[in-house]
Amino acid sequence: MAKLTSKLKMLNIKQAKIKLFTSLPVISLYFFSFYHFQIPEVGKIGIFSFNFQMILIYFYVLKFPEDLGFGNIFLAGIINDTVIGIPLGTTSLSYLLLSVVTSYVRNATIRPVLTSEWFAFIPALFFSNLVYLVIINNFSNISFYYLELIQNTFFTFLFFPIFHFIFSQYQKLIKNN
Amino acid sequence: MANQRDDFIIAIRYALLKKSAKQKFSLFFLILLSISIITLDKFSFPFMSSTRSVLNDLVYHVSVISSQPAKLKTYLFKKTKKHYKTIDENKFLRKEIEFLKREKFNNAYLTSENEILKEALDFSTNKNFEQNFSITVKVILDLESVFVKSLLVNKGTNKGIEKGMTVFSKDYLMGTIIETNYLTSRVLLLTDLNSKLPVIIEGSNVNAILEGTGKKKNLRLNYLPENYEIEPNKIIFTSGKDGFLTPGIPVAKTYLSKKDKVLIKLLADPDQALIVNVTNGQINQ
Repeated sequence: MAKLTSKLKMLNIKQAKIKLFTSLPVISLYFFSFYHFQIPEVGKIGIFSFNFQMILIYFYVLKFPEDLGFGNIFLAGIINDTVIGIPLGTTSLSYLLLSVVTSYVRNATIRPVLTSEWFAFIPALFFSNLVYLVIINNFSNISFYYLELIQNTFFTFLFFPIFHFIFSQYQKLIKNN
Repeated sequence: MANQRDDFIIAIRYALLKKSAKQKFSLFFLILLSISIITLDKFSFPFMSSTRSVLNDLVYHVSVISSQPAKLKTYLFKKTKKHYKTIDENKFLRKEIEFLKREKFNNAYLTSENEILKEALDFSTNKNFEQNFSITVKVILDLESVFVKSLLVNKGTNKGIEKGMTVFSKDYLMGTIIETNYLTSRVLLLTDLNSKLPVIIEGSNVNAILEGTGKKKNLRLNYLPENYEIEPNKIIFTSGKDGFLTPGIPVAKTYLSKKDKVLIKLLADPDQALIVNVTNGQINQ
């Protein structure tokens, strides 16, 4: 009986660990929605600033859509809007459009290759940022820093292969264990 | 051609409407929801402002609470750095004390000169301005994004803070309150693109509008007279032309850059502001 209880306990701990590791993309998404302004080491390294959330969403919607729900993407966007102080729903819509383009790329791709995925990130980023700008321009009085936005978008695109590698290795690690 | 179009439509429809095994919502539904929220927010329905206020307070506090470990790391790093810096400073200060001892006798002269200059500028307090509100608040979040350069402070309408109030860091004007919630408020920094402030330049009667550019060491003066050239080492004060701010609050200073160009820098340092004062337009006492 005692043996059975300890086995069940072990099983529960293992299940919790698996749940934690598979939920890490969602946790990171929320984490960076709350903190990307406060941690200079991540996403805000001077001119090399980039949008980590966009890379995360693009990768997971493209490769492992079951690990990152659209509901979570929507909610993370709302939190992001609240933290930055821009009209509610702007980032959500931007992230969701990124997800639409990514889903389209996923459905249209027969043989996934890193290069094609990387270049498909350009239209995804373009549409996503376009919506962002259109909403900010028409639904608020906020002026914004075009140069920083262009830099941010460029480095988001540039850093994608690095994060592609990291996320792929992470997913492999989870699957192997 | 028709087949290609059909494939495209099928892929788009699949991307928008099809829910995967673990997806609870379709993208189409969530996009519609986002558009509805943006529209409701834009037209400022009464229930939206209260919802937004509650959401702001909730998100800001969660953000502050869970940022503590990250802040501790930064704190420890800064403390260690400061320790080594103090040793160097100590050596430097010893030399400086020697120098200051020699300069001691000039102080009396400088004090009297300062009084004369204040009188010449005629920046005595204007009685038209109500000066009855001042509160000390703590900066809880330092927000810098592509869109807004702002700070979040830990007091809101519960302590009488209102939109448009001025914020001082030490003795210098730093920004204005642009958003108030029940427990928190947002400060728009003078460095932000959206910040516009009527000012006057020291030693002249020139009025201008001081605008942010996103950088604290490169602000911009607009509406200057034609052919007017700014001189370095001049203090820029509020002119009070907006009818809210007291005239004579020091805001910025002109300086000569390494490329021999006259630039304008903010006197307050928003990056170092931890405790700030919120007032209703009067000079910081």
